[in-house]
Amino acid sequence: MGSTAPESMSGLPKEEADVELRLGDIPLRQTVELVRIDLPADRAEPLLERGVLPGCRICPVRSSPTGDPIISVDGSLLALRRETADCLCVRLLSDFS
Amino acid sequence: MRDLSTPTEGSGYASAQVKDEARSPLIALIGPPNSGKTTLFNRLTGLRQKVANYPGVTVEKYVGQVQCNLERTVELVDLPGVHGFSARTLDERVTRDMLEGRLEDLSAPDAVVLIVDCTRLESQLMLVEPVLKLEIPTLLVLNMWDELEERGGNLDHMKLAHLLGVEVVKTNARVGVGVDQVKEFLSGVEIRQRGLPPPVHVLSNVPRGLPLPMIDAFTERRRRVDKVVDRVSFVRPGPARSTEGLDAIFLHRIWGPLVFLAVVLIVFQSIFTWAVPLMNGVELLITSSGEWLANRLSDGWFRSLLIDGVWAGVGSVVVFLPQILVLFLFLGILEDSGYMARAAVIADRVMYRVGLQGRAFLPLLSGYACAVPAILAARTVEDERDRLATIFITPFMTCSARLPVYALLIAAFIPDRPLIGWLMGYRAAVLLGLYGLGIMAAVVTAFLLKRTLLRAEPGSFVMDLPPYRLPSARSIGLRLLDRSKIFLRRAGRVIFAVTIVLWMLTQFPRLDAGPPPIEESALGRIGQVIEPAIEPLGFDWRIGIGLVTSLAAREVIVGTLGTIYGVENASDDSMVLQETLRRNLTPAAAIGLLVFFAFALQCMSTVAVMRRETGGWKWPMLQFCYMLVLAYSGAFIAVRVF
Ligand SMILES: Nc1nc2c(ncn2[C@@H]2O[C@H](COP(=O)(O)OP(=O)(O)OP(=O)(O)O)[C@@H](O)[C@H]2O)c(=O)[nH]1
Ligand SMILES: [Mg+2]
Repeated sequence: MGSTAPESMSGLPKEEADVELRLGDIPLRQTVELVRIDLPADRAEPLLERGVLPGCRICPVRSSPTGDPIISVDGSLLALRRETADCLCVRLLSDFS
Repeated sequence: MRDLSTPTEGSGYASAQVKDEARSPLIALIGPPNSGKTTLFNRLTGLRQKVANYPGVTVEKYVGQVQCNLERTVELVDLPGVHGFSARTLDERVTRDMLEGRLEDLSAPDAVVLIVDCTRLESQLMLVEPVLKLEIPTLLVLNMWDELEERGGNLDHMKLAHLLGVEVVKTNARVGVGVDQVKEFLSGVEIRQRGLPPPVHVLSNVPRGLPLPMIDAFTERRRRVDKVVDRVSFVRPGPARSTEGLDAIFLHRIWGPLVFLAVVLIVFQSIFTWAVPLMNGVELLITSSGEWLANRLSDGWFRSLLIDGVWAGVGSVVVFLPQILVLFLFLGILEDSGYMARAAVIADRVMYRVGLQGRAFLPLLSGYACAVPAILAARTVEDERDRLATIFITPFMTCSARLPVYALLIAAFIPDRPLIGWLMGYRAAVLLGLYGLGIMAAVVTAFLLKRTLLRAEPGSFVMDLPPYRLPSARSIGLRLLDRSKIFLRRAGRVIFAVTIVLWMLTQFPRLDAGPPPIEESALGRIGQVIEPAIEPLGFDWRIGIGLVTSLAAREVIVGTLGTIYGVENASDDSMVLQETLRRNLTPAAAIGLLVFFAFALQCMSTVAVMRRETGGWKWPMLQFCYMLVLAYSGAFIAVRVF
């Protein structure tokens, strides 16, 4: 999926963009920026349509009883599977708030 | 599959021109799921389509008339919610095809009303651009304005109108604020000139002819949306505090599943406790009205038909109205509050293991009310094989038509004793067990299907969690009212007709003195033909007749037994269903009968809707035979075990 890496990345300092963080590794309440979606287009589309786009801010607000992440994006609450969350490459924005 | 939801390409527009003369303007209501389309539609048309607080409620187009003012009516179409225009699911395809004028029975719209949830403006406005490409008059409705204000958000809607070049209205569709302005827009819509080329394939997530990967198409569109949102001074609303608080409980690692369980227990217990006083009331009403009538009629065939046939048959089903209403009361609260979507999240792992999509959980849940809308709702399931698997297991969900059968047999055979203190009695436990049996059968069936006929990768799962909303007493009340009407109408038509036919069959061949003993009657003879087939299950011929008539709809067996026993015990006017059942059926056979009903597909409407939704007889026939084999062997085993 390297071809779909968004151009917005080019403005970032290199070493930051290189850190491969996955949404699944992010602690609760830590806002991150989505860098890349490692999913084939048809699987990514439902996410894209709901505003989970490269460059958007994602905050994992809770984990479900089964350990799957519930995230907040643009004021929407979305429940994902952790398998999906592990396909979302993110980068840190700020420290714990 | 050649129904309305999947028209052949390009066939729509030509026929639309034929239907052109003297029609009223047609306006499409579109927007993301759960943005309030149906709420607004109901407000404008006065109809009562289903509204609930989870995405994917509407799965089919629905046309209604709006009286804008004295001399002007327009037609409004409520459509399934869409996030975009790839039409990955059948319900999304309905919306896209309608907008592009590709439906056979509806022309392309003359205008669209795009309704969005303004508390999450950015992602919802992603639909604006593709919709504007249609180049037809558009009204943008900023719905849920009340929630935006309450949570401290704001935006300049005049500026938004200016930037997008469309009219913009702020509404609270739930209470009707702003609806008049929507009406004003509707009254100004003109029928479009038809010389134009058909707007086929205008709508898509990726602009056609541009070699853009999808992800970039989205990112660029989003950038344009963000620019607009910046300029209308959008103040994003604060988080919904009550939703956070409730989720902290309902989605808690320990409390969440516990609450889930408690909710289920309360529902079952109350079906037997709360509903009982109401049931007794209804029963009293039916028996006393029956007696009143019986005393006024002279002894003769008409009295027998009315009292022993119809009153006993229809009455014995109507008694269960309160239990059905209790069930629907709970379902209504769960659906309107927003809990349903959370339940889907909790259940997702199980679904995943089984091989189904988490998305499929919501249609399956609605199967507890009735399998027919649930099978339609399976349209929201993305993968075609997953959709078929979902449809296939839906009839195992215990629909409300099974409730009268279960309740009757349980009340007749299971003692009314507490099992776990006040929390749960034996009767509720057996009922719960029957629901569990259905779920187990569904899980095993899905597991097998997904590994044989309908093999497919487990899909992704993205579920929108709407904020919790307080269910309004009015909407729940109306739902119960509508449900009662449906239930009584079925009792008044299907069961009424069946009881009359059955009664007639008990009257022939006539003996000199009058009707024959029931075993000698035509009905008795038919029953005795069936009897050998069901004897291994411990059922007598009366139950056999009930099993045959219940092919029309499950609760018909209750009416059937009511009529047969009514005619048999014509001297006794009271409703003797339970006692007579105890005489005619061993407890083991009663359990066998319960198991039979848990599995068998005795519902012609389900078969019909399956045929339509799967595009042929293959699936419904397979389903019918599979469930019959399960039911028969299940009952066979149960009779021997208990
Ligand atoms: N607070 C508030 N709630 C609303 C408003 N409009 C609708 N709702 C609620 O939002 C929920 C969804 O409403 P629906 O009308 O079913 O939404 P829909 O767009 O038809 O949804 P789908 O058919 O699933 O696409 C329901 O719980 C409504 O009561 C509004 O203006 N304010
Ligand atoms: Mg709707």
